Amino acid sequence: MTLSRRTLIAGAGALAGSAALPGAAQAQAPLNVGFILIGPVGDFGWSTMHDQGRRRMLEVLGNRVTATQVESVAPPDFDRVATQLARTGSRLIFTTSFSYFQPTLRVAQQLPNVMFESATGTSTTPNVAIYNARFYEGRYVQGVIAARKSRSKTIGYIASFPVPEVIHAINTVMRGAWSVDPAMRVRVIWAGAWFNPGREADAARALVDQGCDVICQHTDSPAPLQLANERGVFGFGQASDMTRFAPRAHLTSSVNNWGDYYVDRARAVIDGTWRPADTWGGLGSGMFRLAPFTNMSPEEVSEATRIRDALAAGTLQPFEGPITRQDGQLVIPAGQRLTDDQIRAQNYFYQGIDVAMP
Amino acid sequence: MTLFEAIILTVITASTPLLIAAVGELVVERAGVLNLGVEGMMIMGAAAGIAAAVVTGSSGLGVLAAIGAGMAMALVFAALTLGLAANQVAAGLALAIFGLGLSGVIGAPFVGVQRPGIGKVELPFLSEIPFLGPILFRQDPFVYASFALVAGVAWFLARSRAGLVLRACGENHASAHALGYPVLRIRLLAVLFGGACAGLAGAYLSLVYTPFWTSGMTAGRGWIALAIVVFASWLPWRAAVGAYLFGGVTILQLHAQSAGVPVAPQLLAALPYLITIVVLVLIMRIRRAGAGGGAAGPQSLGVPFVADR
Repeated sequence: MTLSRRTLIAGAGALAGSAALPGAAQAQAPLNVGFILIGPVGDFGWSTMHDQGRRRMLEVLGNRVTATQVESVAPPDFDRVATQLARTGSRLIFTTSFSYFQPTLRVAQQLPNVMFESATGTSTTPNVAIYNARFYEGRYVQGVIAARKSRSKTIGYIASFPVPEVIHAINTVMRGAWSVDPAMRVRVIWAGAWFNPGREADAARALVDQGCDVICQHTDSPAPLQLANERGVFGFGQASDMTRFAPRAHLTSSVNNWGDYYVDRARAVIDGTWRPADTWGGLGSGMFRLAPFTNMSPEEVSEATRIRDALAAGTLQPFEGPITRQDGQLVIPAGQRLTDDQIRAQNYFYQGIDVAMP
Repeated sequence: MTLFEAIILTVITASTPLLIAAVGELVVERAGVLNLGVEGMMIMGAAAGIAAAVVTGSSGLGVLAAIGAGMAMALVFAALTLGLAANQVAAGLALAIFGLGLSGVIGAPFVGVQRPGIGKVELPFLSEIPFLGPILFRQDPFVYASFALVAGVAWFLARSRAGLVLRACGENHASAHALGYPVLRIRLLAVLFGGACAGLAGAYLSLVYTPFWTSGMTAGRGWIALAIVVFASWLPWRAAVGAYLFGGVTILQLHAQSAGVPVAPQLLAALPYLITIVVLVLIMRIRRAGAGGGAAGPQSLGVPFVADR
């Protein structure tokens, strides 16, 4: 069942009434899982893939679960929607945006009997788990491919907001590109939005006009990739396989896969084994994968495949030293690597990125 | 193509939907009706436009469907505000929300479907003019339509008898009524015209700008169009200046970022709004100094008209 915020609120009274009926709260009653999405399920990106994860969960667990999903919830509405979901019977709620993290902690405190799962959150509490994927591994592969494909030696990067997740992703593209050619440069435009197709396309236009011939995007619509196709440059899809939007430009897409995780976590609640875990799965864990490589020569495909597999196996570490900041300061010497906390806390750019840190 | 030409081309693309929607709303407001539902009519145009274009395979029919959808939405608004004399602000806000929701329903089967956008049309000879040619005369049909729209509306409001009557309805509907003009009928036509323009602007988004459908794809452009009308102090040519200024600043800040200009991107993103405020202040100062500066809002703007019997 997919509800908009408004219909949810309208129907809440009826649902609350039925939940109070005797017998409705029997032990065999299916677990209701709530999902709160930041964007429309039709964004082809972030929210679409959480929606697919929900469908996967329903498919695998069958009549042991039901799901209630509320899409396009603005952060100020979060408390109301989360409380409403809890009141109408959700005992496990996935809150799928970094913008929801602080609100999730707040609401979770008031609802100790509800388990929360915050996507891209940064710390756990007794009833808040966090989960994320190591998307940077895919960014590293993108950097390698971009360095092979670019003639101008300049990669364009459309970023959403200067949050650590985005900053370390830009850094990893740089790492991947430099592993091929230290002459590579990255230009960055902050779109100031996760989803604004028109502005994303304008940002892509600006980057192409300034000489970038491979476009990376950290925003959710297919508009930048489509623009790359129109302008004869290359690009990568975000969150879902976007090949069809850019048959000539598409190189690969990072494809999110939350379904298996949602199955595991819902099952844990049903079995009573749920714990507030901190999950950060990489290519190896299947939390995301790379879409088939397109528009690449066989040699390029085999190189990209080799690097992808090395990342999945853990034999290649994107954050292995030496790492140097923009200003030349050494972050970590050769032979060491950044810890997960250091990766998540990055607030600086690497050498090769010619824009100021906002 | 030089970088400068490329930037100007992008600015024109970014400004065109703002301009088309703003000119439509300008006529509505000049007739004395405040329709805050531009965003809703626009996104309905975007949804209906791509839906019809995909189903029929014709971009032309898509554009017609978009115009029709915008007008249908405007008709709902007219029924409420002109027919029932409902509060225009509330009805307009409701229309915006209604459009955002309904367009999602209409667009749902078309999520992920894409079709080639409407291409550029080169005007013979004119497009050969150095510099100006590629910028002004190698554009898509919507850009030419927006130029024609501004010129047509400016002429209509300032020079034609019908335009004079329309403005009279906006300035003082009681007097216009007393003179025997059908105030409600004139306002209905104005509202429908505004709806058609908003629908056309929506079609531009889903058929040219980013040729696919996703819900919420207008991303607030309808609200910017409303701001441009005020910015323009209800003058069509000034609406063109406003739309291009707004579009221009948006694009320039993207280019500045990409070129590595060391300014906080958050501040650059806020620039269009800051510039709007600065221009509004300047206009008010000029007006207060008695040196013109354009009209204040139409006197009867937002006031429902009920004919006394």
